[in-house]
Amino acid sequence: MDGASPLEQYLERCGEQFKDDLSTSPQLFTSMSPYDVDLPIQTTEDVLFSSQFNQSKELPADFSSVDLSFLPDITQDNKEQNLSGDSHEMQKELDGSIPRNEDSGIFMDESSSSYPDATQPSPEASDVCPPLTPMTPMTPVTPASESSGIVPQLQNIVSTVNLACKLDLKNIALHARNAEYNPKRFAAVIMRIREPRTTALIFSSGKMVCTGAKSEEQSRLAARKYARVVQKLGFPAKFLDFKIQNMVGSCDVRFPIRLEGLVLTHQQFSSYEPELFPGLIYRMVKPRIVLLIFVSGKVVLTGAKERSEIYEAFENIYPILKGFKKAS
Amino acid sequence: MAAGGSCPGCGSAALVEDAHYAQQQLVCASCGCVLAEGLLTTTYAEEEHLREVAYSQSTGQKEQLSRCLQRGIRRVQDLCKVLQLPTVFEETAVSYFQRAVQHPSFHLVSLEKKELLGGCCVFVTCRQHSWPLTMGTICSLLYAKQELFASVYLSLQKELELSVPALSLADLVKTHLNSFRLFQHAADVPAPFVEDKEKMVTRTMQIVELASETWLVTGRHPVPIVTAAAFLSWQSLQPAARLTCTFARFCKVAGVDLPPPAHLRLKELLEILLRMASQLAWLRVFKMDKKTVVKHIGDLLQHRIFLLKNAFCLEDEEERCATALGEHSPVSPPAQEEGCPAEGKRQREGGPGPLLPPCLTNPRKRLRTAAPSASDLAITGDEPISDSEIEQYLRGPEEIRAFRQAKAWP
Repeated sequence: MDGASPLEQYLERCGEQFKDDLSTSPQLFTSMSPYDVDLPIQTTEDVLFSSQFNQSKELPADFSSVDLSFLPDITQDNKEQNLSGDSHEMQKELDGSIPRNEDSGIFMDESSSSYPDATQPSPEASDVCPPLTPMTPMTPVTPASESSGIVPQLQNIVSTVNLACKLDLKNIALHARNAEYNPKRFAAVIMRIREPRTTALIFSSGKMVCTGAKSEEQSRLAARKYARVVQKLGFPAKFLDFKIQNMVGSCDVRFPIRLEGLVLTHQQFSSYEPELFPGLIYRMVKPRIVLLIFVSGKVVLTGAKERSEIYEAFENIYPILKGFKKAS
Repeated sequence: MAAGGSCPGCGSAALVEDAHYAQQQLVCASCGCVLAEGLLTTTYAEEEHLREVAYSQSTGQKEQLSRCLQRGIRRVQDLCKVLQLPTVFEETAVSYFQRAVQHPSFHLVSLEKKELLGGCCVFVTCRQHSWPLTMGTICSLLYAKQELFASVYLSLQKELELSVPALSLADLVKTHLNSFRLFQHAADVPAPFVEDKEKMVTRTMQIVELASETWLVTGRHPVPIVTAAAFLSWQSLQPAARLTCTFARFCKVAGVDLPPPAHLRLKELLEILLRMASQLAWLRVFKMDKKTVVKHIGDLLQHRIFLLKNAFCLEDEEERCATALGEHSPVSPPAQEEGCPAEGKRQREGGPGPLLPPCLTNPRKRLRTAAPSASDLAITGDEPISDSEIEQYLRGPEEIRAFRQAKAWP
């Protein structure tokens, strides 16, 4: 029957580790898809990402606009300060209202509070308007249902940029302190910088992949720093087609989840194979996000191109998970 | 089929139907006289084509299948025969395999992966018919690396959009116990070790159900749990004789592998049983430990629903207990539910605690990624980059010289 092969032991150990050590798992999972986008990035869209970017995003059509002007106003500053707070409980009330505010914003509903110009990245304090911008809104289920009050934290951002010049990798590895190059193992230079703490893969074609940043802006800054390093090494590097390819977030719902039950009711979306991996892999269709749900209540969300997709996906899954809390 | 009649040449009745090359002939066995040629039917079409042609040959089916595909199909069929699966399974598995190989994502994979693909198709078929086959079994039959099997299986599931129901533990228990060699007297099995199969299967099933109710099964590999449960049930059926036997020895005698996680599962099961035992009235007087509780497993299982409710604060209380544990602050005890603790401290005294998966009750120390600080959040991505910062990453000329000498760059 089953052999206790070293591989099974290894998978078991990985399984235990994954359950408990989620801070490293997002890194592992981004390796699944940083390269699955076509690297010759021919996108003509100018990526001054965030605000303008999100404006052109296709809006979900299945929710009617609702009047949410009764909700307290949350500005960008407030929300971000809250994110850096220690306990979720504190933010619960404030964060709970964020989704709806943003939703009202994007839907441009006349009845909801007015929506400021999306190109402003920094909001004013005590604004009458709901927070804008880098976020496209979440789709509320109904105004009556409570939102989770938990905001997923971004753990990793993968982005690509085109330096638009051929590079001599050996030269770069020789002249740069923070570079490693092992052509037999991988055909790219692996470069790291300390601030923001990121890693870049630089290919001889001039394309570069930047991973490890915790926010879109950090990723862009890091990519620019790498481009600057390459410039200083004597190559005519440019900074074209910067694009966020993948975003990974994680959060904790704080109650254990019956994965066997979840896979029964949501069979068409879930894949739960305890022999392979201790978590349940939930492929949400809208937005197109993959969620890893663990028995401890930790959830990892990946596959997003925008921050709002992660938030939206979590808001969609939270009521489903809550349904499995009581059923034990 | 010999036609009635006698040979005109010699008169014998021994007429044989034979094929001369591809032509059917009716020949006399004694003298060799050919009585008739062609098929002994009157169908026009068959008389026209005076050859027996197999359907697959006439439609060119075999030629259409590439050798690789044929080999793969044969492998799938052999696998089904080895596992003694019903013929229905074989047909389904072959059809999945054919679909998979046509699929663009599998068309060009390595031969190794194509071999695994056949195994995956068999595995999926078994799962869909609730036949308890574990991945470990298939991997060992295919001599495959489990990681590779896992990746092929997941991509197969995604590409063909197959819905694969979960492995049913009940069936797995029965199948796994079938491989234990404890149910008959044999030379290498000591007399006190032999056990009645029905009793052991029932009890193991109950213990596995208990494990799944108490969060020991979710997210874990199923086979070690079944093995640990089998060991406990076997011990509890004749505790006097068997308490001294270790887990490893049990598996060796039973002829079954001992997977490493099974020890941990055994420990967790015993902990759960001990907690339940603390609620059983006539056991409270005894000081229970991991050895002695085995003797009372029968009673514990009989009253398990009642004991679980008392030993752990379940359901509605879970939330309150969990938050209490998390915040370390007293929570006002509920009105109706009996025995719900105020905080985690009481749990250590042996009072009822929340029923949580082991990963939550023994959280390992791990680095928490710090929440983004205010300075991190203020980054816009367009800040100016100072030259000094970039220069720290570049090597000076002496360094390059030294490096060149050390590494001898080609």
